[in-house]
Amino acid sequence: MSAADPAAPVRPGALTRFLHRHEGWRGHLLLAPALLLMAAAILFPLGMTLAMSTWSLAGYDIDRTPGLGNYAAMVENPMFGALILRTLTIALTSTLFTVILVYPVAYYVAFHVTRHKALWLILLTLPFWTSYLLRVFSWRVVLGQEGVINSALMGLGLIDSPLSFLLYSQTAVTIVLAHSWAAFAILPIYVSLEKINRSWLEAAADLGDGPVRRFWRITFPLSLPGVVAAFILMFVPTMGEYITPLMVGGPDSMMVGNLVQAMFGPMNNWPAGAALAVVMMVTIALAGLVFLLLNRLVQR
Amino acid sequence: MARYAGFHRPNRPLALYAAVFAVVLYLPILLIPVFSFNSGVFVRFPLEGFTFGWYADLFQREPLIRAFWNSVKVACFVSLLSTLIAVPAALAIARYRMPGKAPAVAFMMLPLVLPGLILGVALLTLLNRMGVTLSLVTVALGHMVICLPYAISVLLPRFIGFNRALEEASADLGEPPLRTFWRVTLPCNYPAILACLLMTFTLSFDEFFMAFFLSGAEPTLPMYIWSQLRFPRDFPSLLALSSLILLFSFALIFASLRLARIGDPAQPESGR
Amino acid sequence: MDVVDQIHALRAGKLSRRAFTRSLFALGIVPVMVPLLPRPARSAPEDHATWFTWGGFDIPDFFQEYVARRGEVPNFATFGSAEEAFNRLRSGFVADLAHPCITDVPRWASTGLFQPIDVSRLSNWPDVIPELWNVDYNLSEGRPWLVPFTWGQTSIAYRTDLYDLEGAEESWDMLWNTRYSGQLGMLAGGGDAWWCAAIKAGVPFDQIHTDDAFARISAVLREQRPLIRMYTDDTTSSDTALAAGEIVATMAWNSSVVSLTAQGVPVKFAKPREGALTYVCGLMLHAQAPRIDSAYDVLDSLISVSAADFNMRAYGYGGVNRKAFDQFTDEELAALGLARNPMDVLQAGHFGIPQTPEWDQRMTSTWEQIKLGF
Repeated sequence: MSAADPAAPVRPGALTRFLHRHEGWRGHLLLAPALLLMAAAILFPLGMTLAMSTWSLAGYDIDRTPGLGNYAAMVENPMFGALILRTLTIALTSTLFTVILVYPVAYYVAFHVTRHKALWLILLTLPFWTSYLLRVFSWRVVLGQEGVINSALMGLGLIDSPLSFLLYSQTAVTIVLAHSWAAFAILPIYVSLEKINRSWLEAAADLGDGPVRRFWRITFPLSLPGVVAAFILMFVPTMGEYITPLMVGGPDSMMVGNLVQAMFGPMNNWPAGAALAVVMMVTIALAGLVFLLLNRLVQR
Repeated sequence: MARYAGFHRPNRPLALYAAVFAVVLYLPILLIPVFSFNSGVFVRFPLEGFTFGWYADLFQREPLIRAFWNSVKVACFVSLLSTLIAVPAALAIARYRMPGKAPAVAFMMLPLVLPGLILGVALLTLLNRMGVTLSLVTVALGHMVICLPYAISVLLPRFIGFNRALEEASADLGEPPLRTFWRVTLPCNYPAILACLLMTFTLSFDEFFMAFFLSGAEPTLPMYIWSQLRFPRDFPSLLALSSLILLFSFALIFASLRLARIGDPAQPESGR
Repeated sequence: MDVVDQIHALRAGKLSRRAFTRSLFALGIVPVMVPLLPRPARSAPEDHATWFTWGGFDIPDFFQEYVARRGEVPNFATFGSAEEAFNRLRSGFVADLAHPCITDVPRWASTGLFQPIDVSRLSNWPDVIPELWNVDYNLSEGRPWLVPFTWGQTSIAYRTDLYDLEGAEESWDMLWNTRYSGQLGMLAGGGDAWWCAAIKAGVPFDQIHTDDAFARISAVLREQRPLIRMYTDDTTSSDTALAAGEIVATMAWNSSVVSLTAQGVPVKFAKPREGALTYVCGLMLHAQAPRIDSAYDVLDSLISVSAADFNMRAYGYGGVNRKAFDQFTDEELAALGLARNPMDVLQAGHFGIPQTPEWDQRMTSTWEQIKLGF
């Protein structure tokens, strides 16, 4: 720094004066790097995928004449529709299952924990710092025929032979998906519960509402935005899952993601894979719209 | 202080439920360290014998160590860069009125509603047509795409809630905007920025869905683990590494919690 | 945390190193520095060839000769299936050496990505059993495209205590046995599953490209699907499942039985009466291999006696160096499903026949569809 007299006012440069006056430009300048990066990293790849979905396979190379052949194949072959339906079912079931299971815990931390709230939240999300692959792998040890659950149940004499549906089945996929993405569900619900103004609850109590009525009339409706956010935040990744079905699913639990991966991998049919990816995106977008509509209705 | 300071009476069943939930949550996680000490190669009960062998083995496995550092390098790069870009972006969104702000923000948050599979496949398609060789750089690019929206969404509430009076005071005292940022905004929001760094680091370190499609010659740790699933012989040393990472993460998180507490007088209070 | 003040303080000699380091750490600089910290001086990874192979082969035990010559193990890149490897290579991934099977050679060679191997540069070459590489489709002007590395059988691994043969012979019917519905496993890769189903369906391999073959094999696989608990290429999964009794029989390679028996699990590698699927796999050299000298050293090391010996002992795969067989008795070899003369095993079973890329694509998409249940 120069040894100039610190009291003397410094006249800012022309650019600085321009930015000073135009708030919008300042904002855009700050936003620019992020926006440009995302534009490049989202628009171009998605555009390319869309383009590739109109191409077709010719031997090992790709025939670049545009056409809707891949989409037609998907309409004709009942496999695709059935697979997407199955994926939607699994994703919706596991998301619903998780949100319901997680809500009481979020409620507990928001309302009943007074000290170390941060600690609780950390403890609830810390499991997700382990390797995803190994976590799913260790679920096999829990769900397997000689696993923790079966050994415990047999040891307690509740069952005679191990439950085989616990692993390599849709049940297994649902359970493991619920566990893997639970953190995404807890946090939004917790945040919206946390924000609820306690004085409203006190007022309701003063006016004679019991705890259950208070919950249904005040707490639950106010937490719904968080619930919807949790739903979306979890539904989307589970729709795109392919690892969990591969590792703990049986032949009947394969999801759309598995087929996309197969198309980009062993089947080496990138155009068809791109088309399927586009269809997946559209499905998720439609489901998202449905949720958003629900959100609007709920906020009335 | 009263035994419970809240408005609700202590609810035993709920507390029990929360405890059981936590146990079930941790059950598969805790199995990882348990089997890392098991002398048998297969991950199944009954346990065979206690051994530190897999941990010792860890340091011999050159490709494993290399994969680990690859993941660390990528995660560091991604977390630094995305936080660096996210801070001005979040500031802009929080502070300024701009034409086209809402659509721009919605667009930037798009990766949050796209599964990693789709993003990975899309990026792979583009990179392949451009003739770009897959490598750690392409993996880092993929990770940036998902980490940036998360970074912005972590920083945004903090910047929105930030009391601008401090900044205004600094400006009144004659500091140019950049110095105000350095001396006031940044230090006060230090916990959020640290949280952002940590979160993006975690996201990138364990990311597999996109790395699966974007990896080149050098594997990241998840990719290496995936390839090692083919051969069970040395599998438990992967469990050993994962246990060590878990331990380290616990330590890091608690340390950062301590750091975050320092200099943060405005702890978020529950809405009372 | 005020950086500008700290810089001032440093100048004034007043800032403690602790405070400065703390702020550096907070800035995340330290984690970034760590990979740059001086490591024990070694030759750079750039000096060694990269071997693109199945996970499990990236271990020093195969490289005793290489380490003796060059001091370290080479670089590795791993893949989960041969198709995945092929597609990666075709997308531009350059690895000096890749690890396909010999029936893939015509398809792989036709891409122009590989070069024939100059065997005069390999000191161990004279000891390599000739029948393993001397087939017409593996030769280009007298030089082989592929240097063999392993050979063996794909057959059935089953729990002797849980699977009751009921006096019947071992056969591929074991994997179609409705008595064990929901307890059977299958390899997920078409490269193995489709051909084994062909054996079961009684389709001769030279007919496997016909439409009739496709119909019969598909029918047989569809018939099997309800009985299958898991389709996997992941040996860890199927071995663990066999060990835990989740499945009682599965299509597998020799290595599964070797590792399971070592862990005390009662399994046996079946000798199906229709014959097992047999294979020879090895290495091909990339046309633009950047570290070609190191690559030849890798090849030499992999066909050495020590590598072959390790292959047979640890994994149960056939070694390619005839001298390695001197260390084994006939009984030991038979138990592993191997023989002193590889052709005894390879020809007793069904050895694959190279197919066209179009066949490959048709087979893969049909198989993926069957696996999904359609």
